[in-house]
Amino acid sequence: MEKINKSNENELIIAHKELAFEKEEKGKRAEELGIANKELVFQNQEKEKRAEELIIANKELVFQNEEKEKRAEELIIANKELAFQNQEKEKRAEELSIANKELAFQNAEKEKRAEELDIANKELVFQNDEKEKRAAELDIANKELVFQNDEKEKRAAELSIANIELAFQNSEKEKRTSELINSNYARSLIESSMDPLVTINAEGKITDVNEASIKVTGIARQKLIGTNFSNYFTSPEKAQKGYLQAFEKGFVADYGLTIKHENGKLTDVLYNASVYKDDMGKVLGVFAAARDVTEQKWAKDLRIANKELAFQNNEKEKRAAELGVANKELAFQNDEKEKRAAELDIANKELVFQNDEKEKRAAELDIANKELAFQNEEKEKRAAELSIANKELLAFTYISSHDLQEPLRKIQTFVTIILENEFENLSENGKYNFQRMQLAAGRMQQLIDDLLAFSRISTTELNFEKTNLNSIIDEVKNELRDTIHEKHATIEAIELCSANIIAFQFRQLMYNLISNALKFSKPNVPSHIIVKSRIVKGNTLNIDKLSPEKNYCHITVKDNGIGFEPHFSERIFEVFQKLHGKEVYAGTGIGLAIVKKIVENHNGIIIATGELNKGSQFDIYIPA
Amino acid sequence: MTKLLNILLADDDKDDRFFFKMALDALTIPTELAMVVDGEKLMAYLTENAPQLPDVLFLDLNMPRKNGFECLSEIKLDKNLKLLPVIIFSTSFEQEVVNQLYFNGAKYFMRKPAEFSQLRKIIEYTVELISQENISEPSRENFVLTC
Repeated sequence: MEKINKSNENELIIAHKELAFEKEEKGKRAEELGIANKELVFQNQEKEKRAEELIIANKELVFQNEEKEKRAEELIIANKELAFQNQEKEKRAEELSIANKELAFQNAEKEKRAEELDIANKELVFQNDEKEKRAAELDIANKELVFQNDEKEKRAAELSIANIELAFQNSEKEKRTSELINSNYARSLIESSMDPLVTINAEGKITDVNEASIKVTGIARQKLIGTNFSNYFTSPEKAQKGYLQAFEKGFVADYGLTIKHENGKLTDVLYNASVYKDDMGKVLGVFAAARDVTEQKWAKDLRIANKELAFQNNEKEKRAAELGVANKELAFQNDEKEKRAAELDIANKELVFQNDEKEKRAAELDIANKELAFQNEEKEKRAAELSIANKELLAFTYISSHDLQEPLRKIQTFVTIILENEFENLSENGKYNFQRMQLAAGRMQQLIDDLLAFSRISTTELNFEKTNLNSIIDEVKNELRDTIHEKHATIEAIELCSANIIAFQFRQLMYNLISNALKFSKPNVPSHIIVKSRIVKGNTLNIDKLSPEKNYCHITVKDNGIGFEPHFSERIFEVFQKLHGKEVYAGTGIGLAIVKKIVENHNGIIIATGELNKGSQFDIYIPA
Repeated sequence: MTKLLNILLADDDKDDRFFFKMALDALTIPTELAMVVDGEKLMAYLTENAPQLPDVLFLDLNMPRKNGFECLSEIKLDKNLKLLPVIIFSTSFEQEVVNQLYFNGAKYFMRKPAEFSQLRKIIEYTVELISQENISEPSRENFVLTC
């Protein structure tokens, strides 16, 4: 029992200690909890700070996002600008290439010409040399002629003296002959005559001869007598004619014949013959005396030759004078040619210099060309990169817009579920806020839809087809019939033509323009919209961006709405640009950007003109 | 007495599955709903249940591992599965995509609406179509279901 009590006591002591320990422990734990609590309060404070920072960071992000959108717009514009510059540079490079080829061609031509001139120059130099040689030869020939002339004059003088001598001898001989005939010394005198004498009977037979006749024929007297007179001449017929003439007329004077010697020697003679009669006057025969004229003939020949020489001499003097003139002329020409050669030499050097310059220039052009080609290539690369970047940007816009749809839709669904199921549980304030949230979500949905439409316009394939604009307007009118009715609007379509267009895009274009015209109508004024078109040549329009040679389809959409200040005419086509608050006129500011993009897809331009409260007009020009 | 309609939904989005079930529960037509969360699981489910296929498949396009497009093609090429009516249930509407789906054999295309009341209406309409009409191919004009 005591043992038991003791043990109980022990247990109590232990329990007591245990309790004291636990109490202590709880005290410690409470302290720790106090500390932990403070820690939590501190952490809480930190978290609130962090939350505030996050809100600021969030605002910052929103701001950065806006900046990025602006930057994207700027990039799109810069992209277009670069593409345009690229085109310009390509054109310029083509022009330079053509100019280069032209220069190269001209250079080649000039090189050929220089070569030709060089050859011509050498030819001239050669001709010059030749002419100098020729002139020297002529000079020598001239001197030779002068010498010959002198010689001939000397010879002519000698001949003249010889002539006078001969004339003197002749007259002496004539004197002698007449003395012989006139003296009546008969036979002896006859025999001693130097001239061959002969008598011929009526039959032409020789009846007598003298010693000179024997000598000149080489035939003995006895053999001569009784033979035909005409036998002893080179021309017997002429001889016969001569004596027959003497018989007939009684005489013949200076009748030229040539006596033939037995050994072949010929003697030119002149016959003087007359008939002789008996006392009764009967003709007995002909007495013929031959005069050796060999010497006389030579003298005559000499005279002729002399005259000829004198004439030739004269001619030669003239010729020499002419040659002198010609020589001077040649010398002058020579001088001229030397001058010309000198000039050509200078011209040649000039040409060589120009050639060198042109080669240098061609080399420079070649380098410039290569540089241009390189730059061109770089620009093409850059343009290709930009084009890719652009596509990527559009694809990014598309994908991001696309993916934004899903969370937004879920927010909208949750809002509608709450409004449907918890409407009664919400305070008036809560209801209002939820409705505002729904509106904001709706607006975001509109933005995303419009952005998607905008990027779709740029990425889809372009299929052009001839389409009647009337059918497009009809479709748009049908789509907008409720608004048209509500606004008491009239839409007039005047003379709309067919055009080569991407039909579904053009429908969207007309939809956007007409729905804009309806939206921005004046309150209490029925909207009146006029759509018209015409085909017109570029050069009649005076618009820089249009080609003067092309035909354009000019489409006008005009309204009587609120218009806009003229200085906004460019800006209204930019993405997200709005001229009115969304409370006044709903919209995302993408509609006209889509319109512009579609016009650009059609290689056209659009011009907006407006005046505040006086309506607006949109002029579209697309290639017809 | 309408028979119990067996519906299969393939959608990776938890919220969309929640909306779908909520809309279906609000209907008077008796339905049984099974759900799969990606394309691979869908194909596995269908292969497993080939002898007893659901009455209709609501198919989301944008799913991980295997997208709705691939699933549709596989179903229509599989002789055991090709009779299963497939209704495409998608957030986005792209004309070319819709055309392609029609040619690939989808029965209807519907765009997930933003408002819950519309969602309920369109699911109701579709389910009624399926239960009444049974399987006959819709024309191109009626392919896209709108509320």
